[in-house]
Amino acid sequence: QHSYSFKSYRCALVCLLPLLKECNSELLSSVLPFQGAGQDVGRSCILVSIGGKNIMLDCGMHMGYNDDRRFPDFSYITQNGRLTDFLDCLIISHFHLDHCGALPYMSEMVGYDGPIYMTHPTKAICPILLEDFRKITVDKKGETNFFTSQMIKDCMKKVIPLNLHQTVQVDDELEIKAYYAGHVLGAAMVHIKVGSESVVYTGDYNMTPDRHLGAAWIDKCRPDILISESTYATTIRDSKRCRERDFLKKVHESIERGGKVLIPVFALGRAQELCILLETFWERMNLKAPIYFSTGLTEKANHYYKLFITWTNQKIRKTFVQRNMFEFKHIKAFDRSYADNPGPMVVFATPGMLHAGQSLQIFKKWAGNEKNMVIMPGYCVQGTIGHKILNGQRKLEMEGRAQNGPLLDVKLQVEYMSFSAHADAKGIMQLIRMAEPRNMLLVHGEAVKMEFLKGKIEQEFSIDCYMPANGETTTVTTNPSVPVDISLNLLKREMALGGPLPDPKKPRTMHGTLIMKENSLKLVSSEQALKELGLNEHQLRFTCHVQLQDPHSDADTLHRIYTHLKSVLKGYTIQHLPDGTVIVESIVIKVSSSAEDSNTKVLLLSWSYQVIIEPLLKKSFLYPAVLANPPLKSDVISSFWVQTLLQFPDSNKHCGITES
Amino acid sequence: EMEDAEFEDILDDWFIESLKTYKDLHVYQLEHPTQVLEWTSGNSVCVAGYSQSKNEILELRLPLKLLADENKSLCAERDFKVSHGGFTDGPVRCLTHIPGTRCAVTNDGLSSDLQVWDLGGEESDVIRRTGSIKGKRSASERGSRIAARPSSAPQVLHGAQISDVQLTELASGETLYKLETDSADPLSSLQFVSDTVFLAGCCNGSVYVADTRTSAPPQLSHSPSSAESVIWWTDAAAGPHPSSRRVIRVSSSGQAVVSDLRNLGGAGCQAQLDVQTPGRCSQVKVSWAPTLDDCISVSGFSGVVQIYNTRLWGAEPQEARPLFEHRGHAVSSQQTDDSVPTFVTSHIWHPERPRTLLSAASDGSVHVWDWVDPNRQGGSPTP
Repeated sequence: QHSYSFKSYRCALVCLLPLLKECNSELLSSVLPFQGAGQDVGRSCILVSIGGKNIMLDCGMHMGYNDDRRFPDFSYITQNGRLTDFLDCLIISHFHLDHCGALPYMSEMVGYDGPIYMTHPTKAICPILLEDFRKITVDKKGETNFFTSQMIKDCMKKVIPLNLHQTVQVDDELEIKAYYAGHVLGAAMVHIKVGSESVVYTGDYNMTPDRHLGAAWIDKCRPDILISESTYATTIRDSKRCRERDFLKKVHESIERGGKVLIPVFALGRAQELCILLETFWERMNLKAPIYFSTGLTEKANHYYKLFITWTNQKIRKTFVQRNMFEFKHIKAFDRSYADNPGPMVVFATPGMLHAGQSLQIFKKWAGNEKNMVIMPGYCVQGTIGHKILNGQRKLEMEGRAQNGPLLDVKLQVEYMSFSAHADAKGIMQLIRMAEPRNMLLVHGEAVKMEFLKGKIEQEFSIDCYMPANGETTTVTTNPSVPVDISLNLLKREMALGGPLPDPKKPRTMHGTLIMKENSLKLVSSEQALKELGLNEHQLRFTCHVQLQDPHSDADTLHRIYTHLKSVLKGYTIQHLPDGTVIVESIVIKVSSSAEDSNTKVLLLSWSYQVIIEPLLKKSFLYPAVLANPPLKSDVISSFWVQTLLQFPDSNKHCGITES
Repeated sequence: EMEDAEFEDILDDWFIESLKTYKDLHVYQLEHPTQVLEWTSGNSVCVAGYSQSKNEILELRLPLKLLADENKSLCAERDFKVSHGGFTDGPVRCLTHIPGTRCAVTNDGLSSDLQVWDLGGEESDVIRRTGSIKGKRSASERGSRIAARPSSAPQVLHGAQISDVQLTELASGETLYKLETDSADPLSSLQFVSDTVFLAGCCNGSVYVADTRTSAPPQLSHSPSSAESVIWWTDAAAGPHPSSRRVIRVSSSGQAVVSDLRNLGGAGCQAQLDVQTPGRCSQVKVSWAPTLDDCISVSGFSGVVQIYNTRLWGAEPQEARPLFEHRGHAVSSQQTDDSVPTFVTSHIWHPERPRTLLSAASDGSVHVWDWVDPNRQGGSPTP
């Protein structure tokens, strides 16, 4: 407690990870991706400890599991305590379920009442997706022990919305700031700062703008760690235009052979993008087949786009000024009776995973005709019709029909297209160039396949790159400057000792006592420290016994030592006191005979700390050795004396040393 | 902004046209342009940078969607996967994969020394340099051409000029064969036409054919033209039948000559290619289609890759129209008035898929395209 160096202080913190909050350190940040955010695509959830604060980043759900494994294992944070006591805040990057799906489970079932941050669009859209997913899981698949609608609502009440580029003070020391991430409407990267330390978490992001969103952007904030998703870190992405080309090609092929095309979409995001694309295409190709979108889609989407227009790209913003998002020339509102109309048509309908509602109704109607087509523009969760047909299933059991009833024969063409917008290797490099982090941490990827990228990042930016596995903690040592007040007296004393005047760019050693009180640190002289702390000064003396063979009487031996030292140590105060002691400066020497053998003399040496170092050892060959071992070791001192005594003219060469 | 809009319009037009003219089309952007496109397997290709200092060698796996035959529609994966990568100290002007191994040999275009690389396996994604082969000319202005012997233990044929050509065993560094000639003509191409017979094409248009088993003097075919300012590039079709073994030579002025490998001096067919600018040295590439009879591809004259059907050519050089033209690189790179126009740096045919090619351009773009033969389509191609 009284004599640790800063180095050992840091090490202690690694072991104390779950208790970090109590340590209140400013010297360490650690990152613990637990469940999914490490090298396992699925679910994102990362725990960051920075400057004594614990922050959870995302609270995702793994879509590949049906049991508890789909949720993060919160026992990584605490075995029996409350999450609220351990976490300072939770930040959600965007509305995808692999980033927010476990939120109601965490806050309402495991129990967390601390602040939850997300952007406005995420806050608006996240509960819709959670409710959709709850319906699929509980209502369709009949699972129990899942969160309820009420829990979703209660959970969302704990959410504090974030604006872009607005610094939010979570508490006196912890502040967060959101940056635009592209990817989906409302997706954000977040800058987390405690004192002089900071971390940036990207969530999912996209470095190339598309038809409805812009590219991710962050300022040169130089965080200690940049935590980036790396799902596509080892890929070079095919251009957006080629994806669109494929989409148009498929739609066009189907229309040309007189087929109907169903495009199940989520109300927001890609739907708008694909509508803009088809509208342009129809115009250019002078196509006549009708395009419809389900009305629920329009209302919801227009509502959100009006709310969050600043989150879209410039082109969309301009369009919106001129007209309503859904005032298209070729795209019209859908009525359920249209599905039976003869001839080709294209319909956008919700929901995107074909698990209910209008998209499923239309699908059932059109599935039997091989001229028709369904284009799935995104991911589908297990248990949905969308998931089944993407896995190649061609015969489907339909609910609402009698058990063992006829299966739905899927004859229509099924097309899977991914329009997801993630940063590839180039995008990650671009972001590093933008933010200039001191350390890089890649989550979400496959470690074995990322050695090259790690090398590339380390070479190009001269920073360390980490790729923790699930449940693995990465500790990054930071070098924050810790301000310390120094008393004027002490500074004056240092000045008096001479040497060059202090240079702010060069480190300089100072001697004093460091007092840590509450949140302040100060360096004072030891006298002042004693005074302030109400302590008495104690002197520490070192002693050692040196044996030598000398047949003379004790008094004679002492006198011989006295004369010898007088000749060797010229210029020092050497006294022979009448009480049978020789004193060299403050070193005391006494002689006594051994009880067993009167020829064996025992010399008692006793000295205090300062005396030895300054005047006596200065010219000795031992001086450098003593300096190199600042905590004086008595054997060093002893050997000095042995050396001196060995030169004593008549003394026997056999000397032994006992130390105390 | 007007320029931007116009550029976008032209690009949109081309993409809409491409719906009919390509079966598959994938457009990628590398961080740095490559002059190297080399197959390492049926679904992987190597690319490498050619900037003056540090560069990367990448092995890229082709997208599953392109390669999928069944369930193509259910496969959404259309990205290149960087399966392996490594760093080089200098430019990579030439890269040759050694068949049947995870080994590649490169040359930097600055000397005739070669670098040997381990492309990495399942356990590592890192490409590491494992050795080098000393060339004859350490500080020449010209780099070496490299050809890997198709079978046998890893051996490479290499050299910067015709008198340098030698066969080196990779494992021992031992020289197994040297081409006996005094000519100092610089090489523009070097390739094996069988396990032991190779063809060395010189920049001046002359072609040597020799057998590594004998020290007999090579068979020499002189340049098709006596013009001095033109440079020639050569490619031999190495089909199984002797009759399919033909050699094409293309000059920097767009002259193309096809001859029979067995009788290089004999009369062949020829044509004047439809190219605008004189070819830039070291960038023109001519290549026989591996599975389409009589088809050749040419790039390096500009931002396009052209495909010609040589069957339509006659004994006299007449202007030939390309069967197909990939304009993707030129169309998708936005040019300012004073910038150097984008040119195609390399292209390569897929060894099995008849009409699938990869091409790379000076702007760092790499395109993978499966073109549609306009003559096989029902109607005429979209203009």
